[in-house]
Amino acid sequence: MVSGLAWLSAAEAGRRIAARALSPVELTRALLERIAALDPKLHVFIRLDADAALEAARAAEKEIAAGRWRGPLHGIPVGIKDIIDVGGLPTTCHSKILLDNVARADAAAVARLRQAGAIVLGKVATHEFAIGGPSFDLPFPPARNPWNPAHHPGGSSSGSGAGVAAGLFPLALGTDTGGSVRNPASCCGIVGLKPTYGLVSRRGVFPLSFTLDHVGPMSRTVADNALLLEAIAGFDPADPGSAPARADGFAREIGAGVQGLRVGFVRHFHERDMEAHPEAAAALDEAARLLAAEGAEVRTVTLPPLGEFAAVNRIILTSEAFAIHARWLRERPGDYGKLARRRLLPGAFVSAGTFVTAQRWRRKMIAAVQAVLREVDVLMCASSMDPASRIEDEAETLRTYPRQARTPFNVTGHPAIAMMAGLSRSGLPLSVQFVGRYFEEARVYRVAAAFERAAGWQERRPDV
Amino acid sequence: MAEKELIAALAKAAGLERAWAAFPDDVTAAAEQALGHAAALSDADEPGDEPWPPMRVETAW
Repeated sequence: MVSGLAWLSAAEAGRRIAARALSPVELTRALLERIAALDPKLHVFIRLDADAALEAARAAEKEIAAGRWRGPLHGIPVGIKDIIDVGGLPTTCHSKILLDNVARADAAAVARLRQAGAIVLGKVATHEFAIGGPSFDLPFPPARNPWNPAHHPGGSSSGSGAGVAAGLFPLALGTDTGGSVRNPASCCGIVGLKPTYGLVSRRGVFPLSFTLDHVGPMSRTVADNALLLEAIAGFDPADPGSAPARADGFAREIGAGVQGLRVGFVRHFHERDMEAHPEAAAALDEAARLLAAEGAEVRTVTLPPLGEFAAVNRIILTSEAFAIHARWLRERPGDYGKLARRRLLPGAFVSAGTFVTAQRWRRKMIAAVQAVLREVDVLMCASSMDPASRIEDEAETLRTYPRQARTPFNVTGHPAIAMMAGLSRSGLPLSVQFVGRYFEEARVYRVAAAFERAAGWQERRPDV
Repeated sequence: MAEKELIAALAKAAGLERAWAAFPDDVTAAAEQALGHAAALSDADEPGDEPWPPMRVETAW
């Protein structure tokens, strides 16, 4: 029974809870049992808040019994990346620097989840400050990949990805500055969306790079992803980057199919700019074939080279991150893990002129992507160029981590979703990415859902 | 100036004396990364190419 409940989608669990065929307490207890059994080998949780979760589940049960059902997430357990504040719990950012940093209030996204009736299970692993990992020199071990715990689960939202994939919770919040929602989604075979910049408030999220940071939903299905986005999206005057845009109806196109939609396939990302692993490339070709078979018009399109996007992302990211971390890097450099220290320090050596040059190129890149998105409805491209490497193979992890096509859409702010597109011969997930126009998440979900139905990969489960 | 001395001087200018003393390899790797990123970008095409985002007084807080 525990196993069955663990693999319920959030949407199905929500339907059963609304119909009083499933108790939020029963669901939460089942997941807590699974966490107790599996977390010792997956290292998803930094701080499991079991008592508070059960108390919230009991409160949800009473509310629903009294006729006060809040919506489809009422009684649904979620995991929260440990750079996102949950009031009363530490936000450690997986770092010695912030071990005692207890959040005074919920982040905006968490507050919205609680309003929707979701159950916060606790705080889950991240790369240190969402940049340094996977690492073994931190206060907590790195999360591992449920498809093969000898491999990394991607990052930086590593615990969110591993936990969703392992059936520890159906939904999680991650953050994405250079691909950190979409990387674990790709490595763990789940669905991860980086929304349009400004659609989800960053208030209460420890910043990595103000103009590149996004909070994003992670789930096992496209429909669940849309449900979670519906709960967390919306204007927040306390976030200077928040957009006063429409923030509902994300699932309205999910069943519409792709007949007649124009899909621009950015082949040069993985064929010329950064040659993908043959199995990853074959999975992308198969995704294009499936969408065409479903009635989409798939055409090849060209964007600026991946290397230019990556350089712009890294210059802006490291500059903004150094501004955030400068005091600690000056006073407590030894309290960072090696990878975070190496990835945060470059901002000290970026000249002001270089930073402004990157911002000038950013403007051109936005214009280039916008121009292509006037000719097609969505873009399709690689997410990860390789299956996840072995977590203890530091050299291979350092080689493959930057081999990705996610950073372009942090630079431009367009919505981008990564999802499973196959399994490698070694049994690890392969991935595809779909990208939409600003605030057209509903269209991105439409294409992703059509691919999900045609490909069927969401039915596969890791043998944990 | 030798590269090592240059990086030490830049680290000192950035207030990173402790990091340089304790983790010279990390500081050196960081400086090399920064140079690599900068080298990957050419200058903007036109003097008038504006950065992102543009100044917008109506959205200033």
